[in-house]
Amino acid sequence: MKRGRLRGEPEVSVIIPVVERAGDLRQIFNEFAAELDRLGKSAEHIFVVDDRLREVVPLLRSLQEESEREIVIVVLGGRFGESAALTSGLERARGEVVVTLPSYFQVEPRGLEAAFKELESGADLVVGQRFPRIDSFFNRIQTRLFHWFVRRLTSTSFHDVSCGFKVMRRQVGRELNLYGGLHRFIPVLALHRGFTVREIPVAQRTEDRRTRYYGAGVYFGRLLDLLNIFFLMKFTRTPLRFFGLLGAGLFGLGFLVSLVAVLEKFMFQVGLSDRAILLLGVLMMVLGVQTLSLGLIGEIIIWTHARNVREYRVAEVIRRPSRVGGFPEVGRRESPGLDGALQAS
Amino acid sequence: MDLSIVIPLYNEEESVDAMHAEVRAAADRLGVDYEVILVDDGSRDGTVEKLRAISERDPHVKVVRFRRNYGQTAALQAGFDQARGTVVITLDGDLQNDPNDFGLLLDNVNQGYDVVCGWRKDRKDKMISRRLPSMAANWLIGALTGTRIHDNGCTLKAYRLDVIRKASLYAEMHRFMAPMMCQSGCRYKEVEVNHRARQFGSSKYGISRIWKVFLDLLTVKMLLGFTTRPAAYFALLAVPFLGGALAALAVSVYLHLIMQPGAAYPLVFPAITILLTFASAHLLVVGVFAELVVKTGDFKETAALLSVVDGGIRS
Repeated sequence: MKRGRLRGEPEVSVIIPVVERAGDLRQIFNEFAAELDRLGKSAEHIFVVDDRLREVVPLLRSLQEESEREIVIVVLGGRFGESAALTSGLERARGEVVVTLPSYFQVEPRGLEAAFKELESGADLVVGQRFPRIDSFFNRIQTRLFHWFVRRLTSTSFHDVSCGFKVMRRQVGRELNLYGGLHRFIPVLALHRGFTVREIPVAQRTEDRRTRYYGAGVYFGRLLDLLNIFFLMKFTRTPLRFFGLLGAGLFGLGFLVSLVAVLEKFMFQVGLSDRAILLLGVLMMVLGVQTLSLGLIGEIIIWTHARNVREYRVAEVIRRPSRVGGFPEVGRRESPGLDGALQAS
Repeated sequence: MDLSIVIPLYNEEESVDAMHAEVRAAADRLGVDYEVILVDDGSRDGTVEKLRAISERDPHVKVVRFRRNYGQTAALQAGFDQARGTVVITLDGDLQNDPNDFGLLLDNVNQGYDVVCGWRKDRKDKMISRRLPSMAANWLIGALTGTRIHDNGCTLKAYRLDVIRKASLYAEMHRFMAPMMCQSGCRYKEVEVNHRARQFGSSKYGISRIWKVFLDLLTVKMLLGFTTRPAAYFALLAVPFLGGALAALAVSVYLHLIMQPGAAYPLVFPAITILLTFASAHLLVVGVFAELVVKTGDFKETAALLSVVDGGIRS
């Protein structure tokens, strides 16, 4: 029988989403499992296979047969992508600590030790930064630029948000609510929820170099995801602050343009009927009011449908142990919370 | 439970012990069943350790620790969420409010007031940087909400818990907590309270950025109108656009009439007519949609709001 099961709950759950491409899964598994053994951690391995890469299932099956370790294989019923795969893995994770790994060679297993140390010293999530970065010049420029945007928009200081190597407390994973392309922004999301996030340099595998050139389109898509996150983080509870500002700006600009056109008619006798710019002014005023009305609708929705959404996240409620309930009570009263809103969007 | 005392704290390492001792002494003297809810708003100094020690010593104390700093409104909201007393008193954690005023506030609540606000008539703060902006903000808040209170920035206030449960706090509403609560209909009163100069640390909260207060107020004001009768308010918004459309139409017709045969007809005015008609129609449709949103909403709570705006209790 499998060793892990006899021992009960594992200390560490390793989640490997196999979604876009699969490297030598057997070797990745062996290397990381050996490193976990060296560190004395009991572990379960969860492979979550997207429908697109079904062909790896037989390999994983044989791995499951051969290995003494506990291996769980989850096959998704469709092409749901990495966020869904991660969520599915996180739901099944039983270890207090969760490690996510990419399904191809990206970083050296040695990074685990440092990451565990960070967790012990109080971090909730540790993300790897591939350093020194081995990549084509063009990709490096793109990454730099992209992360500059990320840091700007989210006021964080991450250098490699999309590195697949992450070590976290299980609670972090449970609260992330990943969908779409959000798996690339896990550190940002966790930080926003008030978790302590640290970035550590991790040695990159040389195999990671023979990678693809990412076209500019890939990063454009990611930028859209980033804007989505930025909006949800800042304005979920106060949509009018965003739409109202935008709408008022547009309206004001349109008003000014129209005003100038009208003034010119009276001062310089320029006929209004020849001024196409008047049309632009009116158009902007119309757009402004429509944007504003969208913001109002947003507010009304929040006001009438999500009154109990709380912005804050409670780390713990501390009371004298002798009173009712345990000590400390972690996360009591964590009503809907922002994740509800994030998911609903 | 009779009384919940809610105190938001942010980096108050030096004052928290003294504050707790004073609050406890004052609350014990009241002779009521009470709890003290200390909300740590993500402090980065030793506040949390001090709070742990306090909760060990004092069974009345319940500490809520935030994961990070969320601001005073969230801290107060968290305190309200945890509160179980019939009456909730809030105060600053910096010792500028005097816990000996608890009795005064409580007496007024017992006389039937839903919200009792402290008024620091003799304020111990700088005139230019703190008191003047705060006077302007208070005037603005009073003018816009109709709840005229001299000192909205004073955290020392007492509320009945059921009034709190009816209201929903928004963004940075701690700046006008009492008017907010009173939007759902309440009897409020101001009482003069003692104000002391800061002994420790530095000030973190206060009415300092009027424009933010102004924006929030405007939002709240709009929301109150728009959530009660959305279609009507959106229609009101559509009126100027409809007027503009009619004016542009009149100009187009006029131009058509006076035009020489064979001259090029200017398309700007008909285009403006179409644009503005479209805008007003859009606003009307959005209004109907909003009606739908409100009707499917949390009706019990919106109903409470409705009853108020349609001539409910206002003191």
